[in-house]
Amino acid sequence: MQLSEPTTAAAADTRVARRLRTAAAVLFASLPAIARAADSGTASDAPANQLDFSGLLYGEASRVAVIEPIAKLTHRFANGQSLSGQLGIDGITGASPTGALPSGKVTTVTSASGNVTTSAADQIPTTKFNDIRASFDADYAVPVGTLFKSTLGGHFSREKDYQSTGANAQFALDVLQRLSTITVGGGFNHDTSFPTGGTHAPFTDGTTVLTTDPQGKDVTTWMVGLSRVVTRRLLVGANVSGTNEKGYLTEPYKVLSVVDTDGYPVSTLTEKRPDTRTRKSVLGSAVYHLADDVLYLSYRRYWDDWDIRSHTIDVRYRHELGADTWWEPHVRYYAQSEARFHTWGFAQGAALPQYATSDYRLGKLNTLTLGLMYGFHLLDYPGTFTIRGEYMSQFGETHPEGAVGVQKSYSLMPGLSIGSLTAGYSIGW
Amino acid sequence: MKTRRAVGVILLAAAAASLSSCAAMSVKPWDRDLLAQPKMRFQPLPMVHAVDNHIYFSKEGSMGGDDVSGGGCGCN
Repeated sequence: MQLSEPTTAAAADTRVARRLRTAAAVLFASLPAIARAADSGTASDAPANQLDFSGLLYGEASRVAVIEPIAKLTHRFANGQSLSGQLGIDGITGASPTGALPSGKVTTVTSASGNVTTSAADQIPTTKFNDIRASFDADYAVPVGTLFKSTLGGHFSREKDYQSTGANAQFALDVLQRLSTITVGGGFNHDTSFPTGGTHAPFTDGTTVLTTDPQGKDVTTWMVGLSRVVTRRLLVGANVSGTNEKGYLTEPYKVLSVVDTDGYPVSTLTEKRPDTRTRKSVLGSAVYHLADDVLYLSYRRYWDDWDIRSHTIDVRYRHELGADTWWEPHVRYYAQSEARFHTWGFAQGAALPQYATSDYRLGKLNTLTLGLMYGFHLLDYPGTFTIRGEYMSQFGETHPEGAVGVQKSYSLMPGLSIGSLTAGYSIGW
Repeated sequence: MKTRRAVGVILLAAAAASLSSCAAMSVKPWDRDLLAQPKMRFQPLPMVHAVDNHIYFSKEGSMGGDDVSGGGCGCN
């Protein structure tokens, strides 16, 4: 690896770096002895075993909090094949918007599981919830010759009211003196939703149970990709991918408000979404090696038959400090249009449409993400450590066209601030 | 239709440029020291990337782009 000596700017970071190292030493002191005793490894060293660990702390202002530890173990066989298993646990708690409008008075909402939430007059009503999600993923990679590699994968996850089971396959072929790689992949997931209290009939007040049977959803994914070495320092790639979803795609706990002529909510109705969705996207990526630093760029264009269109730009810059230590700032900007059946709510007496939702995630939405990662090695501990903090800001259409009466004075999509802290550790032996 | 046509043109142009690039042919195997570094992958830290994708999937209306693995979630 060609790395320069630490720069003056790098030297100025020494105090911060020392504190982060100390914090990391405390954080990872409880790692298994095998990991501490093992030697450091990189992908080019191709160690026989690799352990990757990640821990996420995630918090939304006045809403959801998540803690998510993930561990992945990979074993590479002598014949070049590899097998990996990954286990993840999500602990989720907090409050989520119901989809209802501000009431103009204090509102109390009781969820299907019995949780009670009180909202102020101008607040978007939310309902409390908590859940634990456990997931297991496995991958088996089989190289054929030196130019072809196939990877087979499986997935299973389970939470209180949702289960997902899936399999996928991906094939990569190096061509043109190994300067280009063609990738083709596909996957299938069968998901099952079993809402607490049963599945409610659409466009009802939530007391009519349609069925207590689980609701299924099949998801088929495909992808074609091409990556290309352009120069000694530049790698570019393009992916085209699509997803077909079929089955129960409605969010079972979301509702819409019905308002009177003055805009005051008089009732709520359960939402209804189509039972199919076709998504497509094109992703362009580039990685450029400067003297020591590396610049990562990507742009994704996404569209689906619910009429959501989005642009995503992602930029990261890895600034080397020397001795496998680096800073990596991250900026991401995302902008989407609204689904054709997204609405603020209903006017009392108006005819109901075929589909409708007030879920802000299907409305006009922007997300700005700013992050900073610090990657390093510890003197007495092998492996690579990373610590990253990120701030996300979501903002959308606060005063949608068509809002009635008092609702015009409320922000129907208040901005959401999200903070996250991710710690990672990788070691090979 | 305009979007699809534009995407098709971009992809064809990218594929043609990729497969016919003369500059790339000059990158000999012994010149690939930089490209061989783990940090020269599109996603050098796949686990962090997967965590990010899970967050974005749960908070936005779009998904996908670079992977076919991973499972569903009741979060969206």
